[in-house]
Amino acid sequence: MRVNFVLSEVATGLRRNLTMTVAMILTTAISLGLMGTGLLIAGMISDMKEIYYDKVQVSIFLADDVTDEQRSAIESELESSPEIASYLYESKDEAYERFQQQFSQQPELVQNTPPDALPESFRIELVNPERYEVIAAEFPNGENGVDQVRDEGDFLDRLFSLLNGARNATIAVAVVQALAALLLISNTIQLAAFNRRNETNIMRLVGASRWYTQLPFILEAALAGLIGALLAVGGLVLTKVLFVDKTLAGPIKAGIIPPVDWGAIATISPVIAGAGVGLAAIAAYVTLRLYVRL
Amino acid sequence: MANRSRCASRQVPWRLVIELQHVTKLYPASARPALDDVSTEIDKGEFVFLIGSSGSGKSTFLRLLLKEDDPTKGTVKVNGKTLNTMSKWQVPKLRRTMGCVFQDFRLLRNRTVAQNVAFALEVINKPQRTIKRVVPEVLEMVGLEGKANRLPNELSGGEQQRVAIARAFVNRPLVLLADEPTGNLDPETSEGIMLLLERINRTGTTVIMATHDYHIVDSMRRRVIELNGGVVARDQSRGVYGVGR
Repeated sequence: MRVNFVLSEVATGLRRNLTMTVAMILTTAISLGLMGTGLLIAGMISDMKEIYYDKVQVSIFLADDVTDEQRSAIESELESSPEIASYLYESKDEAYERFQQQFSQQPELVQNTPPDALPESFRIELVNPERYEVIAAEFPNGENGVDQVRDEGDFLDRLFSLLNGARNATIAVAVVQALAALLLISNTIQLAAFNRRNETNIMRLVGASRWYTQLPFILEAALAGLIGALLAVGGLVLTKVLFVDKTLAGPIKAGIIPPVDWGAIATISPVIAGAGVGLAAIAAYVTLRLYVRL
Repeated sequence: MANRSRCASRQVPWRLVIELQHVTKLYPASARPALDDVSTEIDKGEFVFLIGSSGSGKSTFLRLLLKEDDPTKGTVKVNGKTLNTMSKWQVPKLRRTMGCVFQDFRLLRNRTVAQNVAFALEVINKPQRTIKRVVPEVLEMVGLEGKANRLPNELSGGEQQRVAIARAFVNRPLVLLADEPTGNLDPETSEGIMLLLERINRTGTTVIMATHDYHIVDSMRRRVIELNGGVVARDQSRGVYGVGR
């Protein structure tokens, strides 16, 4: 295959439809950027699940007037229970320390909270996280020094369903954008084929292979897809640097939100580029098969 | 009107370049077939005029030979290969054995004469050194030496048609299909084009030319296949355009 010939055809094609090409690249970029964001959120959710779910599933908050006997009775019961994989005791001081760390961005809140306002607790990891009910029945609220048994999993489930919703919404918008991008690609390719109908007609008549005739169009779309993908990756990098790293610096430092690290972006970028190039090329190919006689 | 007689050697299959057997072509939009049970054979090296009024089936005839369309019934063979059963990816190979010339030249406006001819070779992957050798040769043959770097719109109609013929012939096709190649040209220029086609024919290339130009048909005295309403009305080995002319 004559590389020069094909490349010059691609360049001419892109230049001739400059406005369409730009529109095609931008929609592709937005779509891929949103897709990347969706993937990053998904990664973040699974990171967060690791942070939270593994550590704590059920918390037993102790009453303020809990006695030492009550506390050690609870502890020995936890020790002997087959339902419990591990547990951790958190004193009032430790609770306050964690609280300070979590809300370091809101100093007023920290200032207005007396150090002994936070209850001491047992943080429990269950063998089977679904078995919250058993623990709750074992330690009734308000008895034997137990103030409250809370299923952290329940709270986390709600948090994660919110995050999942955000991810799904992002991906849904990405899909709609992708549809728009595909239609634009298809349109651009039809236009390009129409512009070059003299060339392609002659190519057909002198017996150029289908590939030879179609390849410039497919490469044209693939190149636009690649540029779109590069813009999308650039967008993700800017979002990380300007938004995530600055605005969310506090919660990330406190370990509430996992950071978006460069590794994640580096992993996602080839996926985005592959999706951009692949989808654009497939859209172009299908368009040529369906609408354009070559 | 004596029908064309065939000598025995003409029935040896390998000499037949084109063979139509009971070919019928129906277009979906029309009730009357464009070609109706047409059977004919064309030998290697023949010069054939395809005549008939507009809508008589000349263009359909040529399109079937290029496998731009498939016949509704019957078989079309080119160089011994049946086009009906030919798969899509083999079609380019078929077309490399055929050259096409049209009434409207179909040159690429933004390419020079030499580039237009070279284009036909580039897109079928001929090596650059072959292209460099054969393009000047063929331009000289069609009488355009010295005009290699002109653009099509700097040439006369006759010269443009010569470029188109050079492009069709540069790959040394087995068959040259010409669809009213003189339709846009004055009689004198047409004569030059005909001399060129005759010369190409003498190299062994079969030439099939659809035309309305009875002066040309009458003066050349070559085989004439006349189509009328999709039927072969006449097939004469040294024919004229019409009776009484």
